[in-house]
Amino acid sequence: MAMDKETRRALMVKGLERYRKERDFFKFLSDTLALMPDEEMQLSKEVTDITVDRYDTIIRCAEEDKPFVAGYFNAAPEVYTAMDLPWYLIMQTPFLAASAPYLMEDVDAAEAMGLGTDWCTACRLSLYYIEAGLSPPPTCMIGLLHPCDAATMLHQAVVRNEKWRGIPMFCTDPPYFEDQRGIDYFANELKKMVAFIEENTGRKLDLDRLREVVKESNKQYELWAEYAQLRRAVPCPQGWGMGGPQCFAVSQIFQVGQPRGTDWFRRLVSITEKKVKEGRGVIPKEKIRYFWFDLLPFGWCFELMPWLEQEWGAVMVMEMFGFTPYTPVDTRNEDTIFKGLAKRNLYESPMVRQARGIADYFASDIARVVKDYKVDCVIWPGHMGHKDGSASTGIMREICNELKVPYLHIGLDLFDRRYTTPEECKDKLSKFFGAMGLG
Amino acid sequence: MATKIKSRALQEFQEATQCLVNPALQKWKDQGGRVIGCYCSYVPVEVITAAGFVPFRMRGTGSTGTDLADTCVSSINCSFVRHSLDLGLRGEYSFLDGVLWVNSCDHVRRIYDHWKRKIDTSYLRLLALPKKNEQAQIDWYRDEIRFLRESMGPHFGVWISDDRLWDAIKLHNQTRRLQRQLYELKKRKNPPITGAETLAVMVAGTAMPPEYYNGLLKELVDELSQSKDGHADHRARIMLIGGILDDPAYIEVIESQGALVVTDSLCFGTRNMWGEVDEKAGDPFTALAQYYLYDRPQCARIFGDQPRRSAFIKEMIRQFDVDGVIAERLVMCDNWTGEQFMTGEDLKEAGIPYIRLDRDYVNIGAGQLRTRVQAFLEMMGR
Amino acid sequence: MIVGGCDIGSATGKAVVMKDGQVVSFSITPSAVKPDVTARKAMDEALQKAGLSKLEDLDYVVGTGYGRLKVDFANENISEITCHARGAQWLLPTVRTVVDIGGQDCKVMSVTEKGKVLEFVMNDKCAAGTGKFYEAMARTLHISLEQLSTLGLDARKPAVISSQCSVFAESEVITLINEDVDLADIIAGLNNSVAGRLSGMVGRVGLVEDVVLTGGCAKNETLAKALEQRLKVKIKKLPMDPQIAGAVGAAVIAAEKVAQKAQVDSVAAKSHS
Repeated sequence: MAMDKETRRALMVKGLERYRKERDFFKFLSDTLALMPDEEMQLSKEVTDITVDRYDTIIRCAEEDKPFVAGYFNAAPEVYTAMDLPWYLIMQTPFLAASAPYLMEDVDAAEAMGLGTDWCTACRLSLYYIEAGLSPPPTCMIGLLHPCDAATMLHQAVVRNEKWRGIPMFCTDPPYFEDQRGIDYFANELKKMVAFIEENTGRKLDLDRLREVVKESNKQYELWAEYAQLRRAVPCPQGWGMGGPQCFAVSQIFQVGQPRGTDWFRRLVSITEKKVKEGRGVIPKEKIRYFWFDLLPFGWCFELMPWLEQEWGAVMVMEMFGFTPYTPVDTRNEDTIFKGLAKRNLYESPMVRQARGIADYFASDIARVVKDYKVDCVIWPGHMGHKDGSASTGIMREICNELKVPYLHIGLDLFDRRYTTPEECKDKLSKFFGAMGLG
Repeated sequence: MATKIKSRALQEFQEATQCLVNPALQKWKDQGGRVIGCYCSYVPVEVITAAGFVPFRMRGTGSTGTDLADTCVSSINCSFVRHSLDLGLRGEYSFLDGVLWVNSCDHVRRIYDHWKRKIDTSYLRLLALPKKNEQAQIDWYRDEIRFLRESMGPHFGVWISDDRLWDAIKLHNQTRRLQRQLYELKKRKNPPITGAETLAVMVAGTAMPPEYYNGLLKELVDELSQSKDGHADHRARIMLIGGILDDPAYIEVIESQGALVVTDSLCFGTRNMWGEVDEKAGDPFTALAQYYLYDRPQCARIFGDQPRRSAFIKEMIRQFDVDGVIAERLVMCDNWTGEQFMTGEDLKEAGIPYIRLDRDYVNIGAGQLRTRVQAFLEMMGR
Repeated sequence: MIVGGCDIGSATGKAVVMKDGQVVSFSITPSAVKPDVTARKAMDEALQKAGLSKLEDLDYVVGTGYGRLKVDFANENISEITCHARGAQWLLPTVRTVVDIGGQDCKVMSVTEKGKVLEFVMNDKCAAGTGKFYEAMARTLHISLEQLSTLGLDARKPAVISSQCSVFAESEVITLINEDVDLADIIAGLNNSVAGRLSGMVGRVGLVEDVVLTGGCAKNETLAKALEQRLKVKIKKLPMDPQIAGAVGAAVIAAEKVAQKAQVDSVAAKSHS
C-alpha cells in the first residue's frame, strides 16, 4: 500500500530538518574553503559545492513533490544520472552526521530504540534516522543486500517500518563468486532495477543517454587511475586530506558520469602532477608511508589523522576507497553496457569489492598496494561493522608477513569515538611504529 | 524437569549432542562410509545422501578454547565460528571427507576462506545462496545444487543420478515427517517431551546416518504418541527463536525456571524440517531449491521474507498455544540483531510477551540466564 | 502477619522483616563467601532487631538476589528484577522507573502503578557501572567510597572519560591524575561516565517519572546528580535505605503470597462446608 499524501508530507517536513542542517554544514564548509586561495582547498571546495547542489536538488524535489530515489553507488548510479533522477543514499546521513555534535546522542538514541549495538554504526544509524523520521522519504528505493549482513538487515527493517513500508523497494541480489555467470545474473538484476525505477517514477531510460553517461564516467575512472599512479611518488603528494574519499564521492555519488565531475578529476590530476614534478610531498618530511585499509574514521578524523602526520611523519599514501582498479565499460550495446556495469558494481566498488565475496581481495589488494605504493606498513583499522573483514585478519597478516611489511589491526568504530578512543588508537599506533622501527 | 521418556532412543540422541562423532557415525566410518560436513541448514543434504555419504552438520561441540581460530579471525567474530574453526584447525574434523558451505553469514563464510588455506580436507565447496527468494533466485539456487552434483561426482567417483536424488529426497522427507510428528505431540496441554530433549532429537538428526536415525526416531515417536504422561509442572509455554543453537543444556536452564519450550524457529529446529520437498515435482533440483529457499521457513538473512517469518511465528504461537517468546542470539550476529528487533516490534503490536537474550556459543552463563528467564515469567504473571 | 524478604547480593546480604504491611526491621551485612551463610546472618540480624527469636516466627520468606537459590529457609525465590521493582514502587508509589546499581550488575526496570515490571534491561557481563567499578576507582584514586560519592559535587570542569570499559577507564583516570587534573573533576567525570551508561539503559526501557535509584551505589550523590543531568529529570529519594529495596520487594511479595493462600484456603473451606 503506497504512502498517502498526508503521511508523506508530514514525514517529508520532519525528514528534511536534518537534511537541511547537513546542507547548511556543507555550505558553511564551502564558504570557509572559498577564503583559502590554495588550489587544493579550491578542489575540496568544489566537492563541498557539488554536495550542496545535490542536497538542494533533493530538497527541491521533496518540496515540489517531484520524484527522487534512494540508491547506492554500487547499483549502477549511471542509470540514475541517465534518467535524470536525483538520488541520495540512506547511509549518507550517518556519514555526514559523523562530523556533527549530535552524533553520539543519535548513537545512544538508536540503542534506546532497541536497534542493538554490535552491528555497524553506519547501518544502525541509517535505520535509526528512518525509524525516528529523520530521513526524507523517497519516491522509491533501491536497497542493498551486500557486502555485509548489516546491509540486508537494514533494508529488511526499512521495508518493515510502519511508515516506510509504503515506499516500494527493489534490491539487486548479489552473486557470491566472481565469474561470467554471476556477472550475467547481476546484469539481469540491474535491468530489473531499471524496470522498477521506470514503473515507480514514470521516467524512462534512454539507452543512448545511458551510453553517454557511461562514456563520461569511463573518463572519470581513467583520470582517477592516472591520479592513483601519481600517488606512488615519493614523497606522496597528498595524504588523508585529499584522495580516495573525494574521488569516490565525485565519481560514484555526486557527479556520476557528469562533465563537471570529469573536470574536477582533470584539475586534481593537473595539480597533483605539478606537485610530483616539483617533488613536493603533503608534509615536509615523510617518514612513514602507510596503507589505511578502510574508510576514514569520519566521527573523529581530525583527532587522529593530523597527529599521524605531525607526530610520526606518517602519510596515508593509499586507503581503501582510493584503490580500486576500474575497467572501462564497453558501451557498444545494451548487453555490454549492463554487463560492464554489473562487473563494476560487484568487483570494482571499493569496500564492496573486498567484503562481498571470498577473502582473496583482502590479500591481493594489500599485495598490489604495498608494491606499487612502497608502503612501509599496513593498517587494518578494524571497524566494528566489518565482521567479514576482521574475520580475514589472519589472511591479511599472512600476506604482510610474506611481503615483510608490518601489519596492525586496531579495532575501532569509525563513527563512535567511545568504542576505542582516539587516545587509545594513538597509543597503539605509537607502540606499533616504535616496535617495528618505523619513523 | 525430569524426563517422561523411557525410550533408549532419546538417550542415544542426547549422547550424540555431547560429541562430534557418535557411535552410529563411527560405525558408518568404520565400514568405510564417507561423511560430508555442512555449515548451515541451507546445504541440500539430499545431494550428499544421494552420493552414498552421510551429511554432518558442523558444530563446535567439545571446543574449550579459540586460540588457533583467533589467529585467523577476530574478537568481533561469532563464538560459534571461532569454536568450530578451532576444532577444524586442531584436526577434530579429520573424519570428514569434505565440507560444504553456503555464504550464510559474514562470520561463517570466512571459515571457508581459512579452511581452504589451512586444513587438509580434500573436498571443499561453497554454494552461492541468494539473499532474496523470488523466482530468479530459486532458479539460481537450483543451478547451484546441480553444479554441486556435477562437482561431487567426479571428485568422489560416484554418479549421483536423478533417481538416487529422488530416493534421498524421500528419505529426508521421512525424517522431516517424523520430526514434525514429534512436534505435534508438543501441542498437548502436557507435552511428553521437553524443549531440551527435542533439541537433542533434532541435533542428533544432523549427525547420524539418516536411515538409522529414522528408525530410532520412529521408536521414540511411537512411544510418545501412545503415552498418556506429560509435563504439567511448567509455568508457561514458550516459543524459542534464534540462530545456531545446538546445546540442549541452554534450553535446560530456561526450562529449569518453569518455561517449557513447546516450539521454536531455530536453525536446528523447525527451520530445518517444516514442510517437505515436493516429491511430485518434475525435476529434483527445482524441488530442492523451491523447498530450501522458499517453502521451508526462511532464515533472517533472506530479504523480502520478514513478513512471512513473522506470520510463521504467529502461526506457531497459535497452534502451540504459546504464552511468550524468547529470542536468543549469539553476540556479534548482525542477522539476528535485526531479526530480534523486527520480530520484537511485530510481537509488541500483537501483544505477545517477548524477551531478547544474548549468548555465547560455549558459555551458557546459567546464573544470568536463569535470572532473566525467571524475571520474564514473573513479568508474564506466571 | 509477619513475613521476611532476603536479598543475597555479591557484595552484601540484606534482610527485611515486615509486620502487617509495615517494615519493622532490616539489616545489611557484608557477603560471606557462601550465600547461605550470608542469608542466615542477614536474616538473624533482622529478626533480632524486630524482637523475634526464630525463623519460624515468619509466616513466609521470599529469597532474591544472585544467591537466592541458596537461601534454604526461603519458601520460594523470586528474581531480583521483580523484587527491586516491587520494593521501590512500594516504598514510593509514584515510582515508574527503577535504576538498580548493585555490586556486580546494574539494571533498569520500568514498572506499573502496581509495581509490576513492564520492561527490564540488565548489564551483568562487565563491571562498568557497578559497585566493583567504584571500588576499583576508589583504589586507583586512593580515596574512600564515601569521598567518591561526595567530592565530585564540587567539580568545576568535569573530566571526560570516554572509555566504556572499566579497565580502560582506569587507565584514562591514571592519565588524568598524571596531568594534575583536579580530583573533584576526575570524580565527576567518572560518575558522568557511569551515568551515561545507565541513561542508555533507561532509554531502552523508556523513561517515565518518577525515577529512583536502588542498590548499594544509590547513595552516591555525585552519580545521582550526573544521572539527573543526563535524563533531565529530578531523581526522587526513597524514604528508606535504597540498598534494601530488593529485600523490601521480596517481603511485600511474601505478604501477598500469604494473603493469596489465606484466600484460597477460605474458598476451599467454604466449598467443603
